[in-house]
Amino acid sequence: MTTAPKTQVRSLDDPLLMVDTPATIYDAVPPYPPQTEREAEFYALRGGEMLINLGPQHPSTHGVLRVVLKIDGERVVDLDPVLGYLHRGVEKICENSDWHMVVSHCDPLEYIASMFSELVPVMAAEKLLDVKVPRRADYIRVLACELNRISSHALFIGWLALDLGGLTPILYGFIERDEIVEMLAALTGQKLLFNYMRIGGVNGDLNHEFLSRLGDWMSHAAARIEDSQTLINENEIFVKRTRGLGVIDRETALRMCLSGPPLRATGIPYDVRRAHPYSVYPELEFEIPTREEGDSYARYLLHLDEIKQSIHIIDQVLHKMPDGPIAAKLPRLLRPRPGRAFAAIESPRGQYAVYAMSDGSDQPFRLRIHDPSYFNLQTVGLLTPGHLVADTMAIMASLDPIMGGVDK
Amino acid sequence: MSALSRPWNRLTLAGKIVLPLLALFAVLTLALLVGVALGPIPYVVDLAYDTVAANLGIVRFVGAVTAILLLTIPTAFIIIYLEMKVIALMNLRLGPNRVGPWGTLQSAFHGFKVLGKEDFTPTGADVPVFTLAPAVVYLASVMAFLVLPFAPGLVGADMNIGLLYFFAVGSLGVVGLMMAGWSSFNKYSLLGGLRAAAQIVSYEIPLTLSIVGVVLLTGTLSLNGIVLEQSGSFLDWFIFRQPLGFLIFFIAAAAEGSRTPFDLTEADSEIVAGFATEYSGMRFGFFFFAEYVNVFLLSALTVVLFLGGWNAPFDLGGILAQIGLSVDPSLAPGQLGIGLLLGIAIVPPVVILALALPIWAFRSDVAFWKALVIGFLLFNVLAMGALMLWATASFEQVEGLIWFFAKTYVFVVVFVWMRGTLPRVRVDQLMGFAWKWLLPAALVNIFITAAAIVVVKQIQG
Repeated sequence: MTTAPKTQVRSLDDPLLMVDTPATIYDAVPPYPPQTEREAEFYALRGGEMLINLGPQHPSTHGVLRVVLKIDGERVVDLDPVLGYLHRGVEKICENSDWHMVVSHCDPLEYIASMFSELVPVMAAEKLLDVKVPRRADYIRVLACELNRISSHALFIGWLALDLGGLTPILYGFIERDEIVEMLAALTGQKLLFNYMRIGGVNGDLNHEFLSRLGDWMSHAAARIEDSQTLINENEIFVKRTRGLGVIDRETALRMCLSGPPLRATGIPYDVRRAHPYSVYPELEFEIPTREEGDSYARYLLHLDEIKQSIHIIDQVLHKMPDGPIAAKLPRLLRPRPGRAFAAIESPRGQYAVYAMSDGSDQPFRLRIHDPSYFNLQTVGLLTPGHLVADTMAIMASLDPIMGGVDK
Repeated sequence: MSALSRPWNRLTLAGKIVLPLLALFAVLTLALLVGVALGPIPYVVDLAYDTVAANLGIVRFVGAVTAILLLTIPTAFIIIYLEMKVIALMNLRLGPNRVGPWGTLQSAFHGFKVLGKEDFTPTGADVPVFTLAPAVVYLASVMAFLVLPFAPGLVGADMNIGLLYFFAVGSLGVVGLMMAGWSSFNKYSLLGGLRAAAQIVSYEIPLTLSIVGVVLLTGTLSLNGIVLEQSGSFLDWFIFRQPLGFLIFFIAAAAEGSRTPFDLTEADSEIVAGFATEYSGMRFGFFFFAEYVNVFLLSALTVVLFLGGWNAPFDLGGILAQIGLSVDPSLAPGQLGIGLLLGIAIVPPVVILALALPIWAFRSDVAFWKALVIGFLLFNVLAMGALMLWATASFEQVEGLIWFFAKTYVFVVVFVWMRGTLPRVRVDQLMGFAWKWLLPAALVNIFITAAAIVVVKQIQG
């Protein structure tokens, strides 16, 4: 906007003060002089360009992501993601808390699939403590994680369609999510932040309600997920809007440190469950689905394939589930050996890792969290310029970032 | 009554307008009472009657406009309810089910809610334009109603340029959308307004060209004339003579009314709410109303142009006469004899029971006697309506109204169905579709129709 309105407005700094309105106070320009060359270049507008502020409150920035778009008409020239609106300093909080409390602090990081964000610090602590987790506990962990992966992927499919303007698929996605969440609530007592993993095992054994719900769901899950996807899978508009959009090639994917579905959609079969096996995954049969195209549509199809594989894994876990204790015997106050440990798992969004340092006390000395959403989200800056405003949403949704993990 | 306790300079603009009007009404009422008491009123009434009789055209026009303005409100309410409920059922939700039976009053309460909300103007907005924009959008939709033939003889104004008027007035809405987008001082609004302008102006062209075939066939631009041309059986409807034209028209109409998959003007996942982002309260309500009135309008125009308007798909009167049930609109109750007594004795209880039973059966919390009371009230409303229609309208008009609304609401439901099913297209795909596919197809349609007319004339003459 080049013309400044003549009226006076209330100052943003002091509500009692009336100031002339320079039009720029409504613009997405930061209130300080540019600090880097990139910033100076980005906020300098050429003729016909304007900045538009996408978020932190916007219907389709998942959570509180803020993206400043520089647009020329409908075409995105450049963009600048502004992170940190959900920053809570989880890594620092963990340094000041007991090893057991780390679980509940890491829980809300990936709040759509929080089984994974609580499993990783637990695994790192187990490595430091040299604990052997009972086999039944390992199987229960895999079962809970795979269920959570399906619920997360089902929601992803709905969200992608919602950001493309389809109202219905998200509610079909929520059918699966609802049933799985009820199931996990029967197992863990909570629906969103489960707080189920414990150092050396899990919090509670499988119970009757969980198993009966799981049995009901398993009997129709595969058919129903297949069925509900017919609404968007062969939809001409959906395919036209996602195919060939946001294409990532293999070199870029590796250079940008992608993992999870965005990486596998480029044809690289990297999955932590196979590459660096943990828990009981070596004993289970499953495939790593990949796609060659690397576009939004490939990412969408990949999520469908992964749901099928997860159902297959759950099937095997239920058949192989051994008897035995569900947690190792550990003292109440944990003092791991001084040292470092790295634990990584495959979360629905990619490689989720924790690098923990212990100084021998009952608190972690350092706890560094590697969240895949953060790395996947970085590619938005590469993919979006040159596309239209509407495509920005399709690309962001197909990368599936969870802001709780990005901002930590 | 807070306006009465305020000094004049603290009143809002609306108050300053309404308060003198209230005083004027009070004075007029007083004058009326005094006039009736003292005698000059009959003279004034005669004078008024003569004036009305002398200017019947104008009076009829004003009456039609008022009726249409009033018609738009329930129409919008019904379509909003329909959309909420149908999409909810598609989404495996319940939808509105609290206010009124099956939630039918939900949309009316949405209307009241919108009325009660703060009417907010953002800083930096261009206030006169910002205020005027919703009125322009709404009036553009409402004015287009004027030429719609609802039933034989039931049309606001039977213009011989009806179709031209419809498109001319209907496309005024774009001006309002542009005004809203520009004056809001918001970039999402600006994008929405520009998208609206580009989209609606582009789709205006295939929309208008697709009906040239119909105009060639009928030789008239009057909507009433077009409907009359299609009378007979359903095989005379233009959808069978202009299938391509119908298809183009329907797609372009969906874009013209900004319905999914062409709802880019208010794409909530991209540009928040488009041109309506900064609007609140009843100003937003007018945009909302205009959208749904547009849906009805475009469905109605589809029906009028391609599906025979108020024509029945088969000759209902003829079929009834065949089986011995001739319906005579000029029926005199005295001729019925004993049948009249039987009718009075039997019909009301049966109808009351028929109305009460579903309410009692489907609502477990309603006792049977309460259901009977509701049934009685509903019967009264229906009977009054039927009597009034019998007194003022002919059988053809009632039948025509029923067919017209039934066909129109089929298309309304199709629009809602599309919204529940399809994602949104992108701006460039939208434009490409209009200029690369719809426009050539519409031109081909005109060419084929014109050639066919010439060939048929050659053969016949």
